Amino acid sequence: MSRRSQHIQQRLQQQVEPNISCREGHDSIILEGIVDNWAQVVRAGKLAAHEGYKGVVNRLAIEGLTLPPPRSPKLKDTALDGLHVDVLIVGGGVTGCAIARELTRKSISVLLVEKEDDLATHASSRNNGMIHPGIEPHPGTSKAYFNVHGNAMYDTVAAELGIPFTRCGSLILYQERWERFLGPLFMARARQNGVPGVRLINKNEALSLEPHLTREFSAALHMPSTGIISPYLLTVAYAENAVQNGARVSLETMVVDMKVREGRITAVGTNRGTLFPRVIVNAAGCYADAVADMAGDQFFTIHPRKGEIIILDRKKGHLISHVVAKPRLLQVKSDTKGGGVNRTIDGNILVGPNAVEQPFREDYSTDRDHIKLMLQRYLPLVPELSPADLITYFAGTRPATYEEDFVIERSQYVRNLVHAAGIQSPGLASAPAIAEEVARLTVGALGEVARVGDNPTFDGHRQGIPEPERMTWEERDALIHRRPDYGIIVCRCEGISKGQVVDALNSPISVTSIDAVKRRVRAGMGRCQGAFCTPQVLRIIGEQNGEQLAAITKKGGDSFILATETKTVQRAS
Amino acid sequence: MTVRNVDIAVLGAGPAGMAAALAAAGGGADTVLIERENHLGGILKQCVHDGFGLLRFGEKLSGPEYAGRFVHMVREAGLAVLTSTFVAAARHDSEESVLMLVDRSGVTELHAKAVVLATGCRERSARQVMIQGTRPAGVMTAGAAQYYVNVLGYLPTTRCVILGSGDIGLIMARRLTLEGAEVLGVFEAKSTPSGLSRNVAQCLDDFGIQLHLSRTVTRIFGDDRVEAVETAAVDEKMRPIAGTEERLTCDGVILSVGLIPENEVGEALGVPMDPVTKGPVMDQNGQTQVSGVFVCGNAAHVNDLVDYVTESGERAGAAAAAFVAGRRTHRLLPLMADSTVLLYAVPQFVDMDAPESGAVVYFRSGEELGVTVVEVTAGGETVARHRYQHLRPPEMERLEIDLNRIPVSAGSLNIGVESAAAAEMTS
Ligand SMILES: Cc1cc2nc3c(=O)[nH]c(=O)nc-3n(C[C@H](O)[C@H](O)[C@H](O)COP(=O)(O)OP(=O)(O)OC[C@H]3O[C@@H](n4cnc5c(N)ncnc54)[C@H](O)[C@@H]3O)c2cc1C
Ligand SMILES: Cc1cc2nc3c(=O)[nH]c(=O)nc-3n(C[C@H](O)[C@H](O)[C@H](O)COP(=O)(O)OP(=O)(O)OC[C@H]3O[C@@H](n4cnc5c(N)ncnc54)[C@H](O)[C@@H]3O)c2cc1C
Repeated sequence: MSRRSQHIQQRLQQQVEPNISCREGHDSIILEGIVDNWAQVVRAGKLAAHEGYKGVVNRLAIEGLTLPPPRSPKLKDTALDGLHVDVLIVGGGVTGCAIARELTRKSISVLLVEKEDDLATHASSRNNGMIHPGIEPHPGTSKAYFNVHGNAMYDTVAAELGIPFTRCGSLILYQERWERFLGPLFMARARQNGVPGVRLINKNEALSLEPHLTREFSAALHMPSTGIISPYLLTVAYAENAVQNGARVSLETMVVDMKVREGRITAVGTNRGTLFPRVIVNAAGCYADAVADMAGDQFFTIHPRKGEIIILDRKKGHLISHVVAKPRLLQVKSDTKGGGVNRTIDGNILVGPNAVEQPFREDYSTDRDHIKLMLQRYLPLVPELSPADLITYFAGTRPATYEEDFVIERSQYVRNLVHAAGIQSPGLASAPAIAEEVARLTVGALGEVARVGDNPTFDGHRQGIPEPERMTWEERDALIHRRPDYGIIVCRCEGISKGQVVDALNSPISVTSIDAVKRRVRAGMGRCQGAFCTPQVLRIIGEQNGEQLAAITKKGGDSFILATETKTVQRAS
Repeated sequence: MTVRNVDIAVLGAGPAGMAAALAAAGGGADTVLIERENHLGGILKQCVHDGFGLLRFGEKLSGPEYAGRFVHMVREAGLAVLTSTFVAAARHDSEESVLMLVDRSGVTELHAKAVVLATGCRERSARQVMIQGTRPAGVMTAGAAQYYVNVLGYLPTTRCVILGSGDIGLIMARRLTLEGAEVLGVFEAKSTPSGLSRNVAQCLDDFGIQLHLSRTVTRIFGDDRVEAVETAAVDEKMRPIAGTEERLTCDGVILSVGLIPENEVGEALGVPMDPVTKGPVMDQNGQTQVSGVFVCGNAAHVNDLVDYVTESGERAGAAAAAFVAGRRTHRLLPLMADSTVLLYAVPQFVDMDAPESGAVVYFRSGEELGVTVVEVTAGGETVARHRYQHLRPPEMERLEIDLNRIPVSAGSLNIGVESAAAAEMTS
């Protein structure tokens, strides 16, 4: 045992729990033993990070707690058995989908597998949709680099993919007594990270930008490059464009194991058969460490950091346009961006997020006290907001590593594996830049075993589902003349038409569940939360897909909406 | 895009809207009745139980039967009706309201001299009552459950709990039981039921379904589909009490936790809302504070009897026709409810120049009260007085007042419990 690892072990034994042991594996430090609670696991992981190792492999277990296995598809078949592809991407979040689209610029075969029944069901649909300017990450980190570069690419990406995006700008408010610390600190960060246009502005100027703000601040930092986008629409759009350019997407497909020989993955096992990819991209979000482990290349550990977010009624959307936050001094050096309020691209206001360390990677339950606390803390930023404007709330988990940075690299030990892991916030903002880099690394790895040429028919433009809400009345009228289904409104809160639902069901990556439709066209996202439109959408799905109503699910698996026919109907038939 | 002009646009073809449109057309105005669904009738279409129309028709009808009578009248009168038509945007200019209508044929810009809002209400959702836990399928509002069972012919659950004791929840407890599902109980966080006593008796007691008062659902379990819920007793401030948790295995949670008037169109027209009723501030004929915009039915405030909804529709429709013919409101007296005993009273204002001297006040008590005398006073005079055997928050009461009895000097009307009686009650 080296002196370095011995030293770490001593510290962990003293500061966390006497029975923790440490050893080295490849270039990482591996923690083993049993502790009492999750806080100790995280504490040990953090203490071991940044101590000169490539990463922390935290295998500490908690007395009496068995973590649940990942949510897995019910489906079992051999549809993909024996398939040879150039690149296999594991994970259909924004990271995996952006990579897939980037790779279709080359003339290679690309298969993306996602274990859920739709894309963007985990972190990529459970976030603020904010395209961060890049001021929060510590200078010199991957996060800082990819965030600033990713942000700059968004105008082009959104225009090409046909999805709405706005550079709404953001404001960080602060109080007089903190000004001395925060102002210079943020300005220095902005310079180091290369964030464009950042300015310290006085209260009056801030209030002229956002007249409905609280008066409880003395100055603000204005960052004009901050943007806002629909994260699930972006993910779906990336995937659809990839499919249009020849990639294949297989939903309900989970990678369960890998065969590795002489430093290469030779076969990948899934619930739908064994695959033979030349290169594998690990974009598995909160399970990226598990996927790395399948290849015998785990050198980092995901500790899922939960964040809860509250959604307010669109009625109040006009009150702000910028992303607004007012950090407490303590937060400045912490790992997660502080919460605040922001308007979504669809005009709702989001409140939050918070950050809670907890062991469950896919537990999206919310906590009453947390929700109340966030309402208390953040609503005063805009005094005209009230708890009565709440329509719903949700949670997501950030795939954080103990190094608290993105892991974007070709594996050091497995020649045909590329990691896009640890993509915590600002992973959405960084996605376009991450995709470019991962594609470059992947093509590099592929180039060692095959010839890689450009895809001559690549077309980066995607035509999305029409959004009547964003059209002029004349355009909308014309659309209805062409497609009368666009004149039949099924979701009254959001004004979503049957035409949009039908188009979602017939989109390039076919979907069948209520939530998948919701993610594409917003039916059910409004103030009644689907009470009125779920039955309508159910009927349209049945009609379009020729499916029994009782077979339609909320989100795949066994999440059926209906049980059986009523006695009255059974008697009648 | 088509442009069309009318005197009166009635939005919503539930009982309120149908009554309003009939009255408006009867008053000589060029009227159009606009409904976003493809049939007339509103929420009554799915209320297959009986108990509608006792006051109006002196008989017990089912929801569809009650609605059917008005649909028939609408047809007979030859009213202009637009179904499957959605109001996608609305604005009010000084002289008219402009509604952007969307239907299968395209977009229509409708200019109306007056608008009657009869848009009904929607149900509060799970998150709005702070339910936590996972997000499986199987959590739905009672209205959605009612639609699945009565319109689609499907059971959305085989074994469920009902959260909240609103009328729709009580009615669905019975309906689901009759259709073969198991209802494990109704959980109400308050210490008294929110639904009508007759519904508690007929829908729960008669079927042996337990009503658990001061108890709520605190968590939902299950990943794909609901697998269980945790219930807990709550204290007076409705906070769960530690140690009282109980886990129940079920595949559904049905919510009946309150209704909210739907006033998105009203808000777009600039109509000020009452934070208590969640409906517009209005006078006895539904005239809101925006001249020429009227409201009735559940959009004005949540009603429990359809008969009153119809009545309010008729008044609003007639007033809208009078408005189009040139009548304007001049003298308004505020009606102030004593908030220590009453939850609310409507209308918020009384129009002293209204052509009809009879005005109707509706109110709900804030808590359960025994024998109570409620009176309306103005300028020191008692203008209406009624003795009730009991008052309960779920039961809306109706009181008629005669405008002729209000002294000219009166600056406001006050409604509350008679002071002598109040003194008696507290002693
Ligand atoms: C509360 C919250 C707020 C946030 N706000 C922002 C923000 O405003 N701006 C921003 O830039 N970022 C934000 N983030 C971060 C951002 O959401 C993530 O960085 C990003 O979505 C990560 O995307 P991903 O594709 O890497 O991971 P995911 O979206 O989690 O995708 C990984 C996918 O891999 C699949 N998968 C896992 N294992 C397997 C397997 N074995 N086989 C097949 N499939 C598998 C999973 O099912 C999942 O769909 C926020 C995050 C949270 C939680
Ligand atoms: C389940 C249930 C049980 C009940 N039981 C009884 C009972 O036993 N006895 C009794 O007397 N009363 C009962 N009631 C009460 C009574 O029936 C209702 O209060 C009454 O139906 C409300 O009528 P309404 O016209 O205001 O609203 P609704 O019937 O809800 O009608 C509103 C209409 O407006 C339409 N609409 C809304 N917005 C728009 C828009 N922007 N553009 C176009 N159209 C729009 C809607 O589609 C709907 O058709 C019950 C109510 C419910 C819900």
